[in-house]
Amino acid sequence: MTEPLDPARFVPLAAAAVALPLAPEDLNNVISSFALLARVAGPLMAFPIEEEIVAASIFSPDQGG
Amino acid sequence: MAPGRVEVLALAAAVRSGERGAREVVAETLAGIAARNGAINAFTAVTESRAYAEAARVDAARAAGRDPGPLAGVPFAVKNLYDIEGLATVAGSRIDQHRAPAARDAALVRRLNAAGAILVGALNMDEYAFGFSTENSHYGATRNPHDRLRIAGGSSGGSAAAVAASLVPLSLGSDTNGSIRVPAALCGVFGLKPTYGRLSRAGLRLFAASLDHGGPLARSAEDLALAYDALQGPDPEDPACATRPPEPASPLLSRGLDGLRIALAEGHFASQGTPEVFAAVERVATALGVSRRIELPAVAVARAAAMIITSVEGAELHLPDLIARAEEFDPMTRARFLAGALVPAAWYAHAQRFRRWYCRELTRLFRTVDVILAPATPYPAFPIGQSVFELDGAKLPAAGHLGVFAQPLSFAGLPVVAAPVAEPNPLPLGIQIVAAPWREDLVLRVAAAAQALGVLASPTPSWLSEKP
Repeated sequence: MTEPLDPARFVPLAAAAVALPLAPEDLNNVISSFALLARVAGPLMAFPIEEEIVAASIFSPDQGG
Repeated sequence: MAPGRVEVLALAAAVRSGERGAREVVAETLAGIAARNGAINAFTAVTESRAYAEAARVDAARAAGRDPGPLAGVPFAVKNLYDIEGLATVAGSRIDQHRAPAARDAALVRRLNAAGAILVGALNMDEYAFGFSTENSHYGATRNPHDRLRIAGGSSGGSAAAVAASLVPLSLGSDTNGSIRVPAALCGVFGLKPTYGRLSRAGLRLFAASLDHGGPLARSAEDLALAYDALQGPDPEDPACATRPPEPASPLLSRGLDGLRIALAEGHFASQGTPEVFAAVERVATALGVSRRIELPAVAVARAAAMIITSVEGAELHLPDLIARAEEFDPMTRARFLAGALVPAAWYAHAQRFRRWYCRELTRLFRTVDVILAPATPYPAFPIGQSVFELDGAKLPAAGHLGVFAQPLSFAGLPVVAAPVAEPNPLPLGIQIVAAPWREDLVLRVAAAAQALGVLASPTPSWLSEKP
């Protein structure tokens, strides 16, 4: 499970940490966009996947079987 | 050009037989673009001199008794993320206007040319393909030919609108999360998102490489199949392109529905949309004699994973520009690209592993069913500028929610035809026809059968009958 994440705190801190400049006029929109990703990431990260299932290095849709 | 017919097939036949010259077809096409493109803003470049040069080659080949190709003289245009030799590949951006002109055409452009088709221009899109509405701040919004106050859908909005308005009978788009299928549905044309890896993306400006597909749009299942057949084949220049030999679909179109197990998707695919959308899909299912219902596993999670992968890969591709010149990005995409640059790595890795799990489950599902029907979009085209769509009391991002039914299918790389459900809807609505990987033949076959039954048809915009 992911810990609750506050996009309004996370976005400016993470942007500063990776040296990504955020213009003041963009900040609220970036926070909103990130909040949407964080919202959908919750159920995704909570979805259990067996350790043996690895990502495809070059993805092919019939590698699933 | 007579709208509503198998135009690619008919035009190629006319040029191949000598009934029409390719030069004449090009002249007529360019005149149509000059007269009608202003109303919908589909084209961002017209390649007039190149088109005449290609027409001359087709006419010369025929005159010399050589085969001018299965698409002889067929005009086509491409989303402006495809490389066109001599033009900067702008991908809907202002930033890339300053890139060096492409040294050669994208692989799929070369393949259509080799089949005798004639490139007439480049088409509008959402910046870097990150959108579902083609409301591009740099090049203007592409307007829906069926109601010019409404969006065309995106991100291949120019590709769908140009075909819907009969400016060209064939176009190429790209689809990462629905960018062929959404505009095809909203503009009332047929679009094919092939299996991931089926068609080469060499020379196509990528958005999210794990999910990007190229594919054709046209006004009938037959035309779509003919173009698709010309586009197939391995290409070592795209590492994701499969090594499978071409598997032509056109010869199989007339096989009908015999022996096919078809089901209608329920659950996720039967909610979060307006009633007219589900009624349209039901009409097609009824006409095809489909009563079975089927539920796909963890579809909402699949959509979430697609969003995470798209955001991360898209942001990484553009990171230098996001750092150096974020203000030059379209305000419609800027915040989403910036947000993608901040996504924790574990979310991305988990999304990629989930994708493998999801494909395994779908592989199992496709042992019991051949073709699945689902709506293409949750609602028809909304007015340009609308940012929120209210549905069942919830306020949704109007453009973002358009991908709700498309994203979970492209995420698995499945082949899908998006096709227009025949009237009486005032605005076009589309259905997705889905099959197991590499079974483009089945989705095109079902599309052709439903078209023959009259439940799928590409409508003609009323203003096209007016004199230009």
